[in-house]
Amino acid sequence: MPHEIAIERVDAWRHRIRRDERRGMRTDVMVYAGESLLAHIRRNLSLEQAMNVATLPGITGPSLAMPDIHQGYGFPIGGVAATEVEHGVVSPGGVGFDINCGVRLVRSTLGAQDARPRMRELITQIFRDVPCGTGSEGFVKIRAPQLDQVLVKGARWMVENGYGEARDAEFAEAGGALEGACPEHVSERAKERGLPQLGTLGSGNHFLEVQYVEEIHDREAAVVYGLEEGQVVVLIHSGSRGLGHQVCTDYVAIMNRKMADYQIKLPDRQLACGPIRSEEGQAYLGAMCAAANFAWANRQAILHFLRGAFRRIFGEGARLDLVYDVCHNIAKRERYEVEGRKREVLVHRKGATRAFPAGHREIPAAYRTVGQPVFIPGSMGTASWVLVGQPGAMQETFGSVCHGAGRLMSRTAVKKGRDARLETRKLEEAGILVKSESRDGILEELPDAYKNVDEVIEVVHHAGLARKVARLRPMGVIKG
Amino acid sequence: MEGRSFEILEHPADIGFRAFGGTLAELFANAALALLSIADEPGGVEGRQEYPLEAGGSDYESLLVAWLSEVLYWFDGKRVGFREFRVISLEPTRIEAIGRGEPGHGAKLIVKAVTWHQLRVAATPHGWVAEVYLDI
Repeated sequence: MPHEIAIERVDAWRHRIRRDERRGMRTDVMVYAGESLLAHIRRNLSLEQAMNVATLPGITGPSLAMPDIHQGYGFPIGGVAATEVEHGVVSPGGVGFDINCGVRLVRSTLGAQDARPRMRELITQIFRDVPCGTGSEGFVKIRAPQLDQVLVKGARWMVENGYGEARDAEFAEAGGALEGACPEHVSERAKERGLPQLGTLGSGNHFLEVQYVEEIHDREAAVVYGLEEGQVVVLIHSGSRGLGHQVCTDYVAIMNRKMADYQIKLPDRQLACGPIRSEEGQAYLGAMCAAANFAWANRQAILHFLRGAFRRIFGEGARLDLVYDVCHNIAKRERYEVEGRKREVLVHRKGATRAFPAGHREIPAAYRTVGQPVFIPGSMGTASWVLVGQPGAMQETFGSVCHGAGRLMSRTAVKKGRDARLETRKLEEAGILVKSESRDGILEELPDAYKNVDEVIEVVHHAGLARKVARLRPMGVIKG
Repeated sequence: MEGRSFEILEHPADIGFRAFGGTLAELFANAALALLSIADEPGGVEGRQEYPLEAGGSDYESLLVAWLSEVLYWFDGKRVGFREFRVISLEPTRIEAIGRGEPGHGAKLIVKAVTWHQLRVAATPHGWVAEVYLDI
């Protein structure tokens, strides 16, 4: 069992682990959680991992633990760490293997009452049109030279090549493509793994959910995002597939080889890092941007096939518009005031979402009056949330909030003694149709495996990091 | 050895394994089989073809990650399923082996990557043991 870490209560929503708790920590750990979530969090190694992150050279501000934090490998999932660009490090493990794993929310012109009677048909059609599950190959057939263009242009490449509408790329974080992508720093192996997987959902916790807007909490923001009660929306969760996994694999190994040269010693080799200004640091960031762009292209292709499925079931009048697309696993250069000085930092978000408030110039003009939309998927049987970024996030968390409900039970533990058919029927009785390529896919992602998403949302809402806009309820779920 | 080649380890979000081997070569081969037991679809593999595999590292731990990443690349990138591994040479910085298997294998579970988290390769009085966690 993990040893008892000394945690002090700051207020109802914040707890702190001081930097003198363990040798080597360069900064405090700030945990965004109330008492009951903290009790869950303390049951695994996630806070130890957040303390390990606090040892990274050049870390600035606290090592941040979001309320959905759970044990990962190296970094915790639900962690945020900013490092100084001039003297700090970049850690590929601090972004994770699924580079730019993220979610996009799509709004429809349909009401829940119109869609529910045809939900089985719709889910079956989507399952046919959007490749998902293990070993699936995408319908976007491209060759190696085109892949390099995808890695530079991201979602824009998809739109330019017929897989989307002109406004789609604008309504994604960074316009659906990070600048600074270097396909030449992406290995041939990574490209080989990624090439057949473009436009596929993947498996594990990746999903596509047809939902409806159950409650509106912030009418002004909801109107700006085009959301209203009873409206059908779709949440897509996917990432950079094998391409991103291989990029991270390659660079964690490189950083592990080079760390001794930079006299960097860390408590966990999965945290392996190198100076941002080093050759390896720059190569990784170029490759990471390319993988992030692949992920945006991937989610864009999925949206394109989803539109086709909706048209087949509901006719040409059924429109789908992208609300926004946010990433969960990324490192980005951003400017913040730290200890009274404006500084450029590299924000590692590992299972965390950017949450910029109103007025930020990186938000699409149409949303700038209210702030950036943030989407927090819960588990498939509960709810998901739309939030809006608040100024508190800029002051405290490097413009970041949580990314989900956070896992509570291991995949093997949740499966024990359960039958997929029975669980599927229970969900159906609750008005949620589930389709998955595998029984394990359903069982591993059952609601019991996750923390209560509403409790997670309460924390970021009351801590002033992001405000509730709308609660979404699932109707049809496709598990990868 | 203790009569088994590997066992599965729990992790709150992911999965790991503990592999055993009377020799280091056996340990590396068993670790690769443990990885494939998690990733490969059930139904067995024919050892129809031979695939030369190699990996490099700076110590046994980093070599093990590189070796398993090599096997994962062949499986996820080229859809080759393996039945057995014959280690030809093994030093702390390099492994060369022949994998016997066949193409056309799908995944039961997508293993994204081999992590360095709590990675361990150790000699015990009963032989070698390794612990590895996978990102799934």
